[in-house]
Amino acid sequence: MTDYEIHELMTCRVAAEVDNEGVTVMGSFTPLAYASYMLAKLTHAQDAYLVGFDAVGMAPVQLSFTGAEASAYKGAVCRWGMLTEINSIHLANHGGVEAVSSAQFDGSGAINLSAIGPFDAPKVRLPGGAGAAEVIKMYRKMVAYFGNHNPRTLVDKVQFVTGTRWKVGDRSREEAGLQPGPIVVVTNLAVLVKDDDDRPFRIESVHPGVDVQTVVDSTGFELEVPADVPTTAEPTQEQLDLLRNRIDPFGTVKFDFVSGRERLSYLKGILDAEWNRAAARLS
Amino acid sequence: MSSRTNGKVVPLENLGELVRDGESVAFGGGWFANHPMAAVRQLIRAGRTGIHAITVVGSVDMDLMAAAGTLGHLSFSMVTLEAFGLAPNVRKGIESGSLPFTEYTGLGLLIGLEAQGRGMPYLPYRGPFGSDIPGRYPEIYATTHCPFTGEQLTAVRALQPDVAIVHALRADAEGNAQWDGTSGPDVEMAKAAKRVIVTCEEVVDRQVIVDNAHMTKLPGYYVDAVIEAPFGAHPTSHVPRYAMDAWELMDYAAAASDPAAIAEYVAQIREETEEGYRDRVLKGRDSVLSALVDAAEVIEGAQA
Repeated sequence: MTDYEIHELMTCRVAAEVDNEGVTVMGSFTPLAYASYMLAKLTHAQDAYLVGFDAVGMAPVQLSFTGAEASAYKGAVCRWGMLTEINSIHLANHGGVEAVSSAQFDGSGAINLSAIGPFDAPKVRLPGGAGAAEVIKMYRKMVAYFGNHNPRTLVDKVQFVTGTRWKVGDRSREEAGLQPGPIVVVTNLAVLVKDDDDRPFRIESVHPGVDVQTVVDSTGFELEVPADVPTTAEPTQEQLDLLRNRIDPFGTVKFDFVSGRERLSYLKGILDAEWNRAAARLS
Repeated sequence: MSSRTNGKVVPLENLGELVRDGESVAFGGGWFANHPMAAVRQLIRAGRTGIHAITVVGSVDMDLMAAAGTLGHLSFSMVTLEAFGLAPNVRKGIESGSLPFTEYTGLGLLIGLEAQGRGMPYLPYRGPFGSDIPGRYPEIYATTHCPFTGEQLTAVRALQPDVAIVHALRADAEGNAQWDGTSGPDVEMAKAAKRVIVTCEEVVDRQVIVDNAHMTKLPGYYVDAVIEAPFGAHPTSHVPRYAMDAWELMDYAAAASDPAAIAEYVAQIREETEEGYRDRVLKGRDSVLSALVDAAEVIEGAQA
């Protein structure tokens, strides 16, 4: 058995959703999603078409907090702006995958990135969804990931629907003029899939060492549990080598899995390494 | 400077006179990229209040103005400090009820700007059906139908900011403005606004623009004022000139959630000029911020 960490397994499983069809779009610098796209493009989906920031048709890039944007332009074939992007990708039905995460997610495929508590006087004002409301509805696949699978995040009903998949099954999506494709949720415990408007999410697989009941107990919405639940594929040595040595040598993906007081020092460590590499170019 | 005329070029110090209290102002850039931060700081120095800020994906720009008391309203589809957390002063303003806000969906906001830019009262699209956002704002979002097929569509009302402020790589005295890296929503904001202010890394002669005409994203007839502001997006990035200053952003984030510290941060900006800001924050670091762009790597040997 290969030695790996949970964020690496999640990255590989999200990467598996990226294919050679349509356009994969990268929004804010969300390291796990970025790493997944790069991994896909370096392995099974070499023709994946990547758009990051305003860089269109990107080469795969190494992840860093300060360099992700600059590197995106270095191997890109075109430079657009936001309006051209939404007109040419989202609204033109060319969107393939953009993995999202959110503060709350429910069994209908809705996300809440707006508010905990009343919308007008929230207990916690969240950042807002940017394009997520439209992306998760319009893109061929809705891919969501959650590093902490628990019933406060995967809830029965989100308190506010920032956006939602709206039509889920292939037929109902095609009737509405949308690309057919499933909702795939990758967490630190399991993979959940929904591809039918009238049926709940089903457990597609549980990660090694996780039992099905733990997944059910950690989920705030109803799950369909098949009689036989397979185990999620572990990362291969090739995938781990690519992630650790070429895609994410600074360890940006792990940052979102570090909690509490260690978080800031972990971030500072990465930024020091980024600074030192750049400063060395000047000496 | 243009060899013939200063045209629309004004100093940053005049910015406060170009924007009036209570006006709606669209701020360009997105994520931690290319926000017109020198202009944000100058509006704070000028003591502007009641500004209705419009941002697609705002960050330190919105939070700093929220902290400084510049904002009277915030229209946004996202405001975040990303790795450095939620935007504390925007959060505080909205959670306490002191900052009125309008939350757009990302495409809704861009399409509202596009409608205005095209001289339309609204534009329809296959909207975010099922989202709770449109129902909150019947003055912005409405349900409409295709006149030919009857398909249900979402209409977004045209959005006309009084002013758009965007940061470009360079512009000439006519206001012809060029970007090399991230331009985000800058062009659509400028096309929708009544008045447009372009800040830029450098003001250049018209011939420099002509020689790189493929990089012109905003023709001068849209532009009312051009302001030279080197490192004018700092601490956000202006690729390919400099990367985001994650260290200054980390210091900002630490100060932002502490009322005394953020008051001091704002006071410091108020009492220094933009040149003073650059000397204080960038001294000896500007070359590394540029080197971070050079150091950013494409994965070699991989197919694009």
